[in-house]
Amino acid sequence: MTRNLYQPMNAEIVETIDESPTIKSFVIAPEAPFKFDTGQFVELTLPGEGEAPFTPSSSPTMTEKMEITIMKAGRVTGLLHECGQGQKVAIRGPYGNGYPVDRFAGKHVYIVGGGVGLAPIRSLFLTLVDRVGDFKSVVCRFGARTPEDFIYKKALFGAWQKLDGVQMKLTVDKANGDWDGHVGVVTTILDPKDVDIANAVAVVCGPPIMMKFVTVNLLDFGFHPGSIYLSMEKNMSCGFGKCGHCMLGKYYVCKDGPVFTYEQISKYPNIWE
Amino acid sequence: METAFISKLKPLLDAVAKTMDVYVPVKVGEHYACRKYDPSGATEPELNEIRMCPPVKEFLFPLRELAAVFPEPVDPASVKPFAVFGLKACDLRSLEILDKVFMEKDFEDPLYVAHRKMMLIISSDCSAPGESCFCNLLGGKPYPEGGFDLNISRVVDGFLLEPGSARGKGLLFAHATLFGDVPDDLLEERAKLREAAQNRLTQITADLKLDAPIAEIVERGRNSDLFDEQARTCVECQACTRICPTCHCFYLYDTRQQDYFAKMKMWDSCMRIGHAQVAGGANPRKMLGDRLRHRFLHKFVYFMERYGIDMCVGCGRCIDAETGDVDMRIVLKRLNEEFLAVDRKAAKAAK
Repeated sequence: MTRNLYQPMNAEIVETIDESPTIKSFVIAPEAPFKFDTGQFVELTLPGEGEAPFTPSSSPTMTEKMEITIMKAGRVTGLLHECGQGQKVAIRGPYGNGYPVDRFAGKHVYIVGGGVGLAPIRSLFLTLVDRVGDFKSVVCRFGARTPEDFIYKKALFGAWQKLDGVQMKLTVDKANGDWDGHVGVVTTILDPKDVDIANAVAVVCGPPIMMKFVTVNLLDFGFHPGSIYLSMEKNMSCGFGKCGHCMLGKYYVCKDGPVFTYEQISKYPNIWE
Repeated sequence: METAFISKLKPLLDAVAKTMDVYVPVKVGEHYACRKYDPSGATEPELNEIRMCPPVKEFLFPLRELAAVFPEPVDPASVKPFAVFGLKACDLRSLEILDKVFMEKDFEDPLYVAHRKMMLIISSDCSAPGESCFCNLLGGKPYPEGGFDLNISRVVDGFLLEPGSARGKGLLFAHATLFGDVPDDLLEERAKLREAAQNRLTQITADLKLDAPIAEIVERGRNSDLFDEQARTCVECQACTRICPTCHCFYLYDTRQQDYFAKMKMWDSCMRIGHAQVAGGANPRKMLGDRLRHRFLHKFVYFMERYGIDMCVGCGRCIDAETGDVDMRIVLKRLNEEFLAVDRKAAKAAK
């Protein structure tokens, strides 16, 4: 009999972490080990209520537990935010194509993230850090609206800053409290001298408006459209290229993405909406 | 067993109905609906002259169905064999298109496959293509050449039955006593009737000459204002996509039952304003013109690029069902005119 693509795996929330006023991370234990590639996504079901797509923020090497960082954005995510430890959930997936990490080998990896876009980036970052020697450098440029809006604060302000082979700069749109770092949108901390562009790939994930302007900047810097990797957010429902909601030109974002190069999708209309 | 002759259809349908449910066309007003066949009825079943109104996808991909049960998975209810009588060549082409999506390697939809395997297809020739038919523009013919178990052609005093699969041959063999031999003149008559139907189609669509492959015409018209113009007369009833035999958008939703949870699968439409909207509110196709554009691009460009076939069979159902005023033939014709105008301009500029 054909495997039922719609059947979710039972899972349980084992821990919740408040990341920002609107963002929480959920540590989820599936009933069996769950493998995924960094950048792939899962459909997380709140039983009886609905499901929504999320890219896990944990390392793919961890299969017993998975972390999913969720911003309160709609009905299902609002209900998930009210869930605590012990809540039964279910997951389907993993779906789509993640970051082609092997193709990044020998290159500078220039990662630009904003807001809850740091969730997929965290998974990628942990993957890269595991084999940091394979890359020329890992250069991160992250932004948030205010210091409180940064997620993964402990790692971001601490351990990640000190890793060998990693350079990190943070910025906030609006400073408050004791923030003594850079102030300005994330494009203000991008510099063409950050990496050797001819030998670099860029990874961008964040709110659509941020991704749009970062991509414009990167193209101005001389990045090849095929070297800019974008994690696209569309209405992904089935997860395997049938239901039609996430179509972006000829692509099903769920099956052919969610990670695309700008070159793949630039000719289609309204990619940032 | 090769092509056979039968003078009345009832004995054939009665024989099939002994082992499975049979669905047949029934004329309601000016259209053909589809109903379960009742062998106890005394009247001869009707043979539809053109396609039935409901698309065949309803049998394989019902309006709403149970997709999964959890936390304790339940094996889906097994589908019993069933037969659909009176499908047309365009319906069979729609199956070919849906198969590409739902029977895609590594991503088979178990719900679709379960129904598809159990469906016995008894198709028939179109004797009188309708005013909205344009299958010939998409390489179709008014009679099936494949994809059926058994095909029926009306001839003088009876019907020719042509098997198209091992199942079809088996059916003829099992009920051999019902059938007579086919004299050559009946095959000639069938050929003449088919030619007449094809001529009628050519006549109906005489006004619809396209000067390049449809994919090229629609791709070149990607940025045409025509879609925004058409949007002014579209009332967003979504009927075009619901009745389309190839449209297959669906959404999944969750329900809570007394002792289990379920995921349901239900038809959706790309003409609906929220179709592509994400939870945060962003919507790449919030304008109706963009949704119409997407519908045409999906059908004629994206699907062709992906699966090598148009996602339209030219059955004209969307034209019959339309409550606004968007006619697929007119859109294609206008895009073709724009295509020619651009070419003329380019030729002039090159001089």
